[in-house]
Amino acid sequence: MNVRDRFASLAALRPARKAGVAAESAVAETAAIRVRGFSPALPDGAERLAEMLQAKALSNSFGEHLSVRKWFSEAIGCEPPEGSVNADALRLLAPGACAEVSDPRQWLFLDTETTGLMGGTGTYPFMVGIAWWDAGGLEVEQFFMRELSEEHALLLTLAERMTERPVLVTFNGKSFDWPLLETRYRMTRKIRAAAPRAHLDFLHPARNLWRVHLGSVRLAELEKHVLGWNRGADLISEMIPQFYFDYLRGGPPEPLVQIFLHNQMDLRALAGLASRIVAVLADPRTDGADGLELYGVSRICERRGETARAKKHYAQSLEAVLPAETDRAARRSLARLAKREGDLPLALKLWESILGGSREGLEAYRHLAIHYERQVREPQRAAVLVRRALAELRRPPNRSAGLSAALLRRYRSDFERRLQRLERRMLIARRTGGTLLDAINPESRARD
Amino acid sequence: MAASQHGLAGGLTRGLAVRASTTLETVQEALGALVARYRADEVLTVVRHIPAREAQFRAMPTWVRPELAAAYHAKGIEKLYTHQAAAAELAHAGKNFVVVTPTASGKTLCYNLPVLNAVLKDADTRALYLFPTKALAQDQLAELHDLAKRLDDGFGVFTYDGDTPSDARRAIREHGHVILTNPDMLHTGILPHHTKWTRVFENLRYIVLDELHTYRGVFGSHLANVLRRLARIAEFYGSKPQFICCSATIANPGELAAQLIAEPVQVVEENGAPAAEKLFVFYNPPMVNRNLGIRRSYLNEATRVAKELLARKLQTIVFANSRLHTEVLLTYLQQANRPGPGEAEPIRGYRGGYLPGERREIERGLRDGRIRGVVATSALELGIDIGSLDASVMAGYAGSIASTWQRAGRAGRRSGTSCAVMVASSAPLDQFIVQHPDYFFGRSPEHAYVQPDNLEILVNHLKCAAFELPLRPEERFGAVDLPGLCERMSEAGFLHRSGGNWHWVQEAYPADTVSLRSVTSDNFVIIDTTGGTNGDEDGEPEVIGEVDFSSALTTVHPKAIYLHQGQQYHVERLDFEQRKAYVKSVNVDYYTDAIRYTQVRVLEIAEEEQVAGPAVRAHGDALVRSQVVGFKKIKFFTNENIGAGKLELPENEMHTTAFWITLGRKLLAELPYALSDRQNGILGLLYAMASMATLLLMCDARDLGTAVGERPARPGVETEWQEFSATLGDPAQMKESFEPNLYLYDAYPGGIGFSEPLFRVHDILLQRTRELIVGCPCERGCPSCVGPAGEKCEKAKEVALAILERLCA
Repeated sequence: MNVRDRFASLAALRPARKAGVAAESAVAETAAIRVRGFSPALPDGAERLAEMLQAKALSNSFGEHLSVRKWFSEAIGCEPPEGSVNADALRLLAPGACAEVSDPRQWLFLDTETTGLMGGTGTYPFMVGIAWWDAGGLEVEQFFMRELSEEHALLLTLAERMTERPVLVTFNGKSFDWPLLETRYRMTRKIRAAAPRAHLDFLHPARNLWRVHLGSVRLAELEKHVLGWNRGADLISEMIPQFYFDYLRGGPPEPLVQIFLHNQMDLRALAGLASRIVAVLADPRTDGADGLELYGVSRICERRGETARAKKHYAQSLEAVLPAETDRAARRSLARLAKREGDLPLALKLWESILGGSREGLEAYRHLAIHYERQVREPQRAAVLVRRALAELRRPPNRSAGLSAALLRRYRSDFERRLQRLERRMLIARRTGGTLLDAINPESRARD
Repeated sequence: MAASQHGLAGGLTRGLAVRASTTLETVQEALGALVARYRADEVLTVVRHIPAREAQFRAMPTWVRPELAAAYHAKGIEKLYTHQAAAAELAHAGKNFVVVTPTASGKTLCYNLPVLNAVLKDADTRALYLFPTKALAQDQLAELHDLAKRLDDGFGVFTYDGDTPSDARRAIREHGHVILTNPDMLHTGILPHHTKWTRVFENLRYIVLDELHTYRGVFGSHLANVLRRLARIAEFYGSKPQFICCSATIANPGELAAQLIAEPVQVVEENGAPAAEKLFVFYNPPMVNRNLGIRRSYLNEATRVAKELLARKLQTIVFANSRLHTEVLLTYLQQANRPGPGEAEPIRGYRGGYLPGERREIERGLRDGRIRGVVATSALELGIDIGSLDASVMAGYAGSIASTWQRAGRAGRRSGTSCAVMVASSAPLDQFIVQHPDYFFGRSPEHAYVQPDNLEILVNHLKCAAFELPLRPEERFGAVDLPGLCERMSEAGFLHRSGGNWHWVQEAYPADTVSLRSVTSDNFVIIDTTGGTNGDEDGEPEVIGEVDFSSALTTVHPKAIYLHQGQQYHVERLDFEQRKAYVKSVNVDYYTDAIRYTQVRVLEIAEEEQVAGPAVRAHGDALVRSQVVGFKKIKFFTNENIGAGKLELPENEMHTTAFWITLGRKLLAELPYALSDRQNGILGLLYAMASMATLLLMCDARDLGTAVGERPARPGVETEWQEFSATLGDPAQMKESFEPNLYLYDAYPGGIGFSEPLFRVHDILLQRTRELIVGCPCERGCPSCVGPAGEKCEKAKEVALAILERLCA
C-alpha cells in the first residue's frame, strides 16, 4: 500500500466542509499542477478583481498588496463632526483619554475582514478597511492580501496610516480587530504595530443605548434602525472566510467584490454611528416619546460614576415611555442611586412602585424589608412585606422574567430566613415588651 | 520529603518505630482474620517486608546561589540525595535528562533547584512545567509557593489551566517565571496563542516533564507531537529549552524521553532517598473449583480485605481497574460502612467522570481524615495530595509494575510503616505476577512505547502547527515527507501554499478538535433525565459525566447499566450522531457487560519471518472492523449471568497496526487433536499471549485487541472470512487445512507503536506465555491461563501448550 493510499484513509484528512462548487472544479483543475510543487504567485482571480474594483497595488519594502480608495460625500453618508468632539460625550466614552481624542481629524475608523472569528495565530485579516473624515466626507481605504504572503506588506502600510491618525475607532475592536492585528504584527517579528494613542470602541455604548430596543446590536441592524439607512443586498457575513478561501484556491473573485462593499458599508455605518452616539451622549433628546435612549445614557453615566447626570437622565427616561421591564430597571437603578445619596423618600417611593415577582420586584421587597427592620424598627411591617414576597415566589415561575431557578432558590431561602428572624423578634418583643431586643440581637445586621 | 530526609537520623525515627509496630501488628492481625478459613500460604502468596532504607547524601553544589541554599536549608534540606545531586549537575551542564525516582524520593527538587537557581540568577528566565493532569500541577504549586515565600517572592509561579480566571491570565503570561500547566492546555491554550506568550517563549530555558512514564501509548504519541510544535514556536522566538524529566521506574526511561523530546537524553537511575518500611502482600483468592480453576471473586475478596483494614481504623484507599469496578466496590463498601446518624458518608468513590468540585472535596476529606476510605481508579495513582493513608488495597493488578508501586505508595507516602495488598484477579496477568514475585520485585521489565509518527495523530498536530506558524518546505516534523503531506492537506482544503509556505486556511480552530487523550476526539456526554427525584423544583436533565468514544459503545449502549457514584443508571437511549447517552436512575441487582465482535484484515506486511513451528511472525498494517453485538446481565455478588440482549450498533472500522503469528499447516496437521480442540487451543493460546503482551508493553488490556482469522491468500485481497471466535463462529464450517493468524493489534486508529516491539520480543513473549500456562495450577485451563474452561474446551490448555512447545522449539 503506498503512501497516498495511506493518507486516503485518514480521518484527519477528511475535508472539514464543502467548498463552493465553482471552487471545487477549479481545485480539481489546479490540483495536478500544484502537486508537482508549482504554486502561482497570485490566484487566478487577482487581476480581474483589481480591474473590477479599480484597485491598485501598493508596494513597500515587504512587497505588494492591493488598495482601493473611495470618497463618500456627506449626502451619502453621515455628518462629519465640526470642530472638536463634545467633551461631555468624550468623558463618557473614553475617560482620561489623551487630548487627540477630541480632534475628529485624528480619528481613524477601522474594520477588518478575517479568515475566522476565533482569533488565535492562524486567523488572517485578509482585508483591512480604514476610513477618516476628509473634505466634508468620508475617505475609505481598503487593503487586501491577494495572497497570504502579502500580509507583511499590508501590515506595514497599515502601520503608516495609523501613525498619521492615532485615535483608533472601531466597533468591537477592543476584543476582536485590534488584538488580532497585534497578533499579526508580533508574528512578523519585524514590523512594529502603531499602537493607537486612544481606542474608541462603540460596541458597548451602542449596546447600552439600543440593545433593549433592537434585541441585537449588529452593525447592520444599528445602521438600519438608528441611522435609517438601507444598505440593500448584503452578503451573509458567515460566508466571508469561505469566499476568500475559494478565491485563494482559484475560485471566482466576484464574491470578494461583495466583501469590499460590505466592508465599506460597515465603515460608513461605524462613522455614522460614532457621530450619532457622540450626539446622544452629549445631549440626549428629551422631547421624543421614547425613553430607551435616555435610559441607556443614564446607565453609561452611572457606570462612569457621573451620578448626578445618571439620576437626571433616569428620571427623564421614567417620564417618557418605557417598556415595562425597562421601566422597572430604571426605577431600581434610580432607587439605588437615591439611597446611596441619602434621598430615602425617593428610594422608598420607587421601591414601593415596583414590588412584584420580577427580579427588580423581589429586590425591592428585600430593600424595603431591610429598611423597616433596621431603620424604622417595625418588624411587623417588614414581616408583612416578606410574606408578600414569599407569596410572589409561590406563584408559578415566570420564566420570561429571566429569573433562574438558582436565583429564585436564593431569594426563597433569604426571605424564609428573614421571616423566621422577624417572627422570633416579634415573639420576644411581645414577651419582653420589646425595646431591649435590638441591643442584644445583632444577628440581623451581620446577615444582610 | 524535607522531614524524612533528616528526621530519620534523629528523634523522629523512634516515633516512626512506635507507629510502625502498631500498624504492622494491626495489619498482621487483619491478614490473620482474612485467611482464617483458608490455607494461609496458598492465599498469601507473598508477604514481603520491605525494610527501611538509609539515605545517601552529597553536598549541595557550590554553584547554588546562597539565598536558594538558605531557603532549602530553612526547610531542613542541607544536603542532597545522590540522585538529586546527579540531576543538579546535569541540569547545570545544560543536558537533557530523565531522573527515575520512586514515590516520595524528593524528585521535585531535581527540577526546582536548577530552575529556581537560573531564575534567581537571571530574572528573565522562564520555565514551563508539564504535569499529566491539572490536579498534579495544583499540587506542586504549594511547594513552589513555600519556596517563593522563603525567597522574598523572588520569582513568580502560577498554574495555567482551564480553571485559570481570564483576568489573571495576562499577569501570569507577563510575570510568571515558572508556569505549571498540562499538555492539553499547552496544546489548546498556549501554542495557538503564542503571540501572547512572547515574553515566555523568548526566554524559555527549561521544560519540565513530570510523571514521564504516563506519556506512553496514545497520550505519549500526542505529547511528542505537541513538543514538536513547541520546539517550532521556541525556535521562532529564538530559544531552545532544556528538558528535565522525571519518571517512575520503567525499563526504558531514556528511550521514551528521547522519543518524546526528539533530543538525546541522559538517565539518572541510582536512588539515594531513604524509604520507610512497608509490608507488601500478594493475596490470591482461594480456589473454589480446582478443575475449572475458579477462584473466589477478587472483587469480593478485595472488599473483605478493605473491610478488615477499615474495621481496624486504618485509613484505606482501594484501587479498582475500571470505572465499573470502582462503582461495584464502592457499593459493597458503603453497604458495610454506613455513616452514623448525622455523619457524612465515610467511604467515597473517585474517578475520571466525577466533576472537579466533587473531587476537590474528596481530596480534602481524605487529608483531614473525615473520609476513612476511598475507592478510586488510576485517577488517584499519581501524586495528588491526599495525605498519607495507612493502607492501599488493589483489586486486581494495576496492569503495570510502575502503576502498582505508585498505588502502593499512596499508603505511607511520607513516613511510617504502611501496607499494600494486591488482590489478584483470575486474569492471567494477575496470576502470573502473584506466582512470579521476582518478576515484580526485581528490575523493571516494563517498556513504555510511543508512536509519534502515527499518521492520524501526526496530521492532526500538523494542522495545529500550520495554524500556529505557516509550514516551511525545509522544516521537519517527524519522519514524514512534509511537502508531500502538506500538498495532500492543501487538496483536502486545510492548507494553502503561498510564498512557498503552507498556511492554515480554515475557519475552524484545529486544536479544539484534537484531544490528546484519544486518537479521535469524540466524547459521549451522559445525561440524567430522571428528574424530580433529587430536587423539589427543577427536574431538568443534567449532565453527570462523559465517556470517550472507544468505551462508549461498551459502557453506554442502549439498556446498559451505567454506574456513577454508586448510583445505577439505565441507558434509555444512545444518540450516536449527537454523542449523547440519555440515562435514568434505577435500582437493580445486576450490571451489564458488552459483547464485541471483531474481524481483522492485513493490508500491508512490514516485516515477516519464518520461525520454529513451523510458523511465521509478522507485523504490519491491518484493517480492524468491530461491532458491539450484544450484552450480558451479570448479577451482583454472585456474578451469575442472568440474561442477555442483542444490540444493533454501528460498525467501527479502524486502520491500525498489528503483530501476528501464522501457524503453519504442518504444525497444525501434526497435532494429535480433533479440529475443534485445535481451534480451542488456538483461542486459548491467544488469550494467554495477549495477557503477557500487555505485561511486556506496559499497556492496558484495552489498548491491545485480539482476533483470529484465516490467513488470506495475499495481503489486501478480500477473502471470505473464516471467523471462529468462541462466541460467534461455527467450528463445523471450518476447513480442515487452514493457516490461522493470531492477531494482537493496536486498539487505536493508526497504531500506537506496539506491533513492532511485539515482533521483536516474539521469543520472550512465547516463553512468558508458556511459563504462565505451565505455572497455572488448574487442570484443563482456567481464566488465569488460557481462558475459562467450558464444555467445548476440554483440551484447550493441553493443545495451547502443545502449540507452544513447537513454537518455542
